[in-house]
Amino acid sequence: MSVHLTTLDELDSIPVGDHGLRWRPVRRRLGIEGFGVNAWTAQEAGQEVVEHHDETGTGAGKHEELYIVVRGRARFQLDDEEFDAPVGTCVFVRDRTVRRGAYAEEAGTTVLAMGGKPGEVFEVSPWESYFAAIPLFAAGDYDGAGALIRPELERNPDNPSVLYNLACAESLGGRVDEALEHLARAVELNPATAEWARDDKDFDPIREDPRFASAVAGEATTGGESA
Amino acid sequence: MSEERYSVARLDEMPRKGRGNWAQIRAHFGIEAFGVNAWTGDEGDTVINDHNEEGSGQQELYYVVSGRATFTVDGEEVDAPAGTFVYPDDPARQRTAVAAEAGTTVLALGGKPGEAYRTLGWEWTSEAFPFFGEERYQEAYDVLAAAEREHPDMPGVLYNLACAEARLGKTDEAVAHLARAIELYPAFTKLARDDPDFDSIRDHPSLSIA
Repeated sequence: MSVHLTTLDELDSIPVGDHGLRWRPVRRRLGIEGFGVNAWTAQEAGQEVVEHHDETGTGAGKHEELYIVVRGRARFQLDDEEFDAPVGTCVFVRDRTVRRGAYAEEAGTTVLAMGGKPGEVFEVSPWESYFAAIPLFAAGDYDGAGALIRPELERNPDNPSVLYNLACAESLGGRVDEALEHLARAVELNPATAEWARDDKDFDPIREDPRFASAVAGEATTGGESA
Repeated sequence: MSEERYSVARLDEMPRKGRGNWAQIRAHFGIEAFGVNAWTGDEGDTVINDHNEEGSGQQELYYVVSGRATFTVDGEEVDAPAGTFVYPDDPARQRTAVAAEAGTTVLALGGKPGEAYRTLGWEWTSEAFPFFGEERYQEAYDVLAAAEREHPDMPGVLYNLACAEARLGKTDEAVAHLARAIELYPAFTKLARDDPDFDSIRDHPSLSIA
């Protein structure tokens, strides 16, 4: 076949976060490498349909982004501004520091999101790797989750968000040394990850290890191999 | 609302241009990182023109926003109702789409792996075509001269710039740009031979298109 076909309804629907947001991977499904494109769906009204974020974070692609509401109706928030966004609304966010997000006003609201960095070769956003691993985490396949995230770490060895999520998989999968090393490195690169780790159940298996306290305190651990 | 940091528009309220009722989403917002446009048509209207992306090397993804379209990719026909993504697996694939229902809108996204995005020449030439139709050659020239500054080696831009220059009596420039267009894309020789835009320069000794 000379053409790949899929529909919104056939895309994977991966739950992200605690506000009903569902990631519908388009770029990854079709193998697109020239630009970023994904869909996001809220199954119920009131749920998040665009994750509230800016494009400066360590998991972000640092992209300029275009959102198009393709189903339902959303309420967008850009910094302090809020507005109604029915089907056909296009929202272009050039400035990566703008905090953007949206909630669904109707069940099934879906937003198509596109992105890339002006003047630079497109690179896949780091978050895609650990979002793609969510179903494996949910299924208890922690080795599989780690295997999905590890190539992203090879591409971005100093990305604290990737390190942190890999450490989660390793902790749950019983890879204690690797988990502690990657968590320590994440904290070293981004001290905020120490706060994330304190209440993150993914680290319960290693929380009592004396090296855990050192890792979240920003004290480097030893042992284990780098991924 | 700040127009610089972000901006908002409705697809159905965006200015439309030319054949296929073209919504210039990329140009409208000034997007620089990827290509994005939409075309709308009624049953039987072409919503994606017959083309391939071999020259640009660009990957293109089409999404049917509303209505229903019939895509043809390398001779293979595909029914694509609203909500369908259509992705030719190779830029060289010949592709086109025709609306199968009234009010069909198809979104097209593009970018080239391994290269920073650059605006493609066709966006400029498509903008200039209506001016040719109305014999507003100076305006066509202005659009294409700006395109040539950004795409000095894009054969389609050079060819159409030469058309405008020939119409405006800018003979030397027209000859130079047409010669360069043919050098880059020899198939333009045949096109130029019968193109009335070149009546004034067809017999020029520097050209061999007569």
